[in-house]
Amino acid sequence: MLTIKTIDDININERLYQLNLGPQHPSTHGVLHFLLTLDGEVVVKAEMLIGYTHRGHEKMAENRIYEQFYPNTARMDYLSGMIFNTGYCETVEKLCGIEVPKRAQYVRVITSELNRVASHLLGIMDFVMGIGAYTPFLYGWDDREQILDLLETISGSRLTYNYSRFGGVRVDVDQAFCDGARRFVDRLRGRFKLYKDLITDNIIFIKRTIGVGVISKDVALDYGVTGPTLRGSGVKYDVRKNEPYSSYQDFKFEIPTKEEGDCMARYLVRMAEMEQSLNIIEQALDNLPEGPVRADVPRFITPPAGDCYHSFESARGAVGYYIVSDGTRIPYRIKVRAPSFSNLFVMNKILPGHFVADLVAIFGSIDVTVPEIDR
Amino acid sequence: MLTEGQKKLLEELKNSLAKSVSEAKISESDYARTGYHLEFKSSQTGSRRVAKEMKRKQFNLETVTAVDFIDSFEIVYLYFNYYQDNIRVIVRIRVPKNEPPFTISAVYPEAIWLEREVYDFFGIRFKEHPDLRRILNPDDAVYFPLLKNFGKTKITDEIDDMIC
Repeated sequence: MLTIKTIDDININERLYQLNLGPQHPSTHGVLHFLLTLDGEVVVKAEMLIGYTHRGHEKMAENRIYEQFYPNTARMDYLSGMIFNTGYCETVEKLCGIEVPKRAQYVRVITSELNRVASHLLGIMDFVMGIGAYTPFLYGWDDREQILDLLETISGSRLTYNYSRFGGVRVDVDQAFCDGARRFVDRLRGRFKLYKDLITDNIIFIKRTIGVGVISKDVALDYGVTGPTLRGSGVKYDVRKNEPYSSYQDFKFEIPTKEEGDCMARYLVRMAEMEQSLNIIEQALDNLPEGPVRADVPRFITPPAGDCYHSFESARGAVGYYIVSDGTRIPYRIKVRAPSFSNLFVMNKILPGHFVADLVAIFGSIDVTVPEIDR
Repeated sequence: MLTEGQKKLLEELKNSLAKSVSEAKISESDYARTGYHLEFKSSQTGSRRVAKEMKRKQFNLETVTAVDFIDSFEIVYLYFNYYQDNIRVIVRIRVPKNEPPFTISAVYPEAIWLEREVYDFFGIRFKEHPDLRRILNPDDAVYFPLLKNFGKTKITDEIDDMIC
């Protein structure tokens, strides 16, 4: 049994030392720096040093018009760029009072959910690879590649899509895309059994994840944790259900939760969420309405003075855009609430008492993207 | 449309928030247009009293940010009620540039990093903050990037030429 030590309990004669994990380290998913105070192999105090990839997106927003800021949004969370793009469009539409055609909303839902599945696949496989299993990673990458190919056919790029537009989407989806999406849904459903055998039932994976990195419900809420990490701690909160945006109220889906709050719970929530996303995609494809995919919106928009907050669910948690407009074509202030920022900070609280090797498991299971934290 | 539970909670909130800070302006807002239900405006620094009140009502802190209005700062706190009635409350505190508000990090630990970020970009030194250092910008930076007088490039003029 591991006894948990805090920095106050340490005898001065014991030898503490510091370890710099990162900024360049294969398991930190980007340029992130952990400054660890260690007692042997056990973490006593952890500090996260961030900002290595700070690009000043929020300042850039104040120097360009609304349309010009649009491509920046996908650069923040490059793994769920479609969701970030669409969320920004929805915020500006809310601010201007633009009504989006139903077909465009459905197309946005389909593409966003495909992007969510791709992001979860990458998140899970990176996590599993971080704790030593290389094979599942290759299978997961294969599946993710199908989504990227599919989204490439409609948007022309693989990660930073820029597919949504104010008032709709850029081009309509064709029959080939719909057929491809259906084929993918069937394909991934058949793969869950494989993933269960490869990962969920793997004894090494079980030993590395169960009971490791427990985030209790209260801690999660105090630290503003959202997304699969919060749902792994037993809180049933999903922006898609709590504040339905776009047309998520039209679809039947569950919010998977787990009470344990450990790495295994977070992994299982992500897995279950992918199945729910597939259900949403299938329903949206079945009921895809006819009609235009873009509202009649001026080429350059000028929102009225005022402010607006819009929250939406990315693959990592609740993102929020807060836009202050002074009635000109240039935003007065744009604030992005990045879910990874809060999700990372909770590690400060839960890391003490864990082994250094567990840090990789905990970090992988929380699944943050660094450019989104640094913005 | 608001549900019965939401209406009840909004009434309760209005009463209890009015007590916490006198001279505050509390008004309901159009959720479909602005994304929040209740707006709390004050020129006094009652941020900590409001935070305690929100914590008591089981609200969670979504984000803390600031807006630079040249002559003063507006500190914006967004609270959201996760699993009861889905009410979002925006708290705006107008403070003069030389008079920062108290930290709320004792009430919501999440605010430790959020307020560090606000300090990093606006230079607002929250009183009694446990760990007020730079977070995203370099430690030795001498600037506060999101102030309106910082780094205004010529791009804005060029945009106007381009569009017209």
